Amino acid sequence: MSGSNEPRSPGGERDPILEADASTHPQHRQKFVLHEWVREKLAWTGRLTRRQIRFFLIMLGASWGVIFESFRSHSWRRTVRYEFGTTLNSVIGGGLIATMFAGTLTGVAAVSQTIYWLGLAGMAKMTGTILIDVVIREIAPILVGILLLGRNGMLSVTELGLLTTGGEIRSMQAQGLDPFLLLVMPRTLAFTVGGFTLGILFSFAALVTGYIISRMSGVVTNPVWTFLYDVITAMSHADYLVIPLKFITVGFVVGLGGCLTGLTATNEDNLRTLLPRGFSRGMLIVMAVSVLFSLDL
Amino acid sequence: MDTRTAGPLLELNKAVPSFEESGLPPVPFSMKLMPGDCMVVETRSSSRATMFADLCCGLVPLDAGVVKFMGLDWSDLHDREMNALRGRIGRITRRPSWPEFLNTHLAITLQQLHHTTRPMDEVVAEAARLAEWFGLPGLPVLPPSRLSDSDLLRAACVRAFIGHPRLLLLEDPLEASPVELQNPFLSAITDARDKGAGVIWLVRNNAIWQGYRQGITSMWRLADDGLVEVRTA
Repeated sequence: MSGSNEPRSPGGERDPILEADASTHPQHRQKFVLHEWVREKLAWTGRLTRRQIRFFLIMLGASWGVIFESFRSHSWRRTVRYEFGTTLNSVIGGGLIATMFAGTLTGVAAVSQTIYWLGLAGMAKMTGTILIDVVIREIAPILVGILLLGRNGMLSVTELGLLTTGGEIRSMQAQGLDPFLLLVMPRTLAFTVGGFTLGILFSFAALVTGYIISRMSGVVTNPVWTFLYDVITAMSHADYLVIPLKFITVGFVVGLGGCLTGLTATNEDNLRTLLPRGFSRGMLIVMAVSVLFSLDL
Repeated sequence: MDTRTAGPLLELNKAVPSFEESGLPPVPFSMKLMPGDCMVVETRSSSRATMFADLCCGLVPLDAGVVKFMGLDWSDLHDREMNALRGRIGRITRRPSWPEFLNTHLAITLQQLHHTTRPMDEVVAEAARLAEWFGLPGLPVLPPSRLSDSDLLRAACVRAFIGHPRLLLLEDPLEASPVELQNPFLSAITDARDKGAGVIWLVRNNAIWQGYRQGITSMWRLADDGLVEVRTA
């Protein structure tokens, strides 16, 4: 596709029609002034920084809000329970096949290769440790986070963004329905449970597939129970805490980030601005959680 | 939260709405609505009507004055209390109000299911009865986007009147509605008033409410100079 045929974003900074119009009116041409240009760029940087910090602070506050409200029995009204159940079904039921498939591919691509090369190098005793440290602790949370973000997180961004810009959220408030209680809290908690469930299933699928491939190629001769026992004994005490916590946190922040990106949409937003923002924020959040848990843990 | 059972149901006492937040004229609004009253507010602008209804619900910040519902000042309440109080308001609005992720029957019953502990069967039975009353073949279970405009209007009436609300804020559903909706709508208003509800009926056209002229207790006009009472004689 040529550049001239690419769709233009409405309200974008470079509008070829307006530019062409301006070029026919020389009096409208503005003189390039360096300090004005620098001021504009600084203002743009400042706006961007303020917006990102604002979202980070909203995330922190909302995280506390979700945790606090989830322990209050009054928060769990039947409408909230319904939303939790529906989202949980969508996250786990809808994402199960994709997660198992991704786990299987990881098993073929990463686990079986690790077993093969460590065996070849005479370091087969380190197989369990490396699988835990690399596949389960590092790769699995990131891939599960990306799957959650792509399948359900973006759906939340779109749904809540359109509800906010369309005015339905305001109508819900007029009925006394708090969007945070009715939508954000149950969805975030459903993502949290979903993140843990899918993460464990992903890890299991990856390990079993890796074992099957290695067994078929003759690299491993032990029964599957011995292989799984080796992996489990390679886990440290901290791993029993960090691995589930990582899955839980990834699910929590992806769910919360998606809901908040949708709810903080303004009248100037549309799908063209919401979706890229939701995706980039989600990816950033997943990577940040992954890095945070890898620091000296 | 102790609500008042005697005295005005809704009271605007020199309430000056924030112009930036609402677009309403920043002048003092004063009026009282007693239980069983039906007040018609005529305004040409539908967005202004919606904002006035928001003002009555405590959704518009005030620069001065107070808005009280059931004896409680909205500005003195916490979020939870405000939401609980708004659960007693039935509303038909011109603002989009049908979330697409809920089917229509859930969107209709959502307010009752959220704010009350009434059994689900009872809520559904009442919704189905009201749906038939307003001319629907039953409680609609399709997504709102698949309903026709007139059916969605009927569904909005069901949602507003379900659960015996204490206050009804009705942004003229009779405008551009099927003729056969008029009688059920007026009967539903009378029935709600008999049970102690106050009604604020926001209209754009004076002809709309003439069929209910005998039942109107006061007539007001909302314009650039604020809320002004009009003689109905």
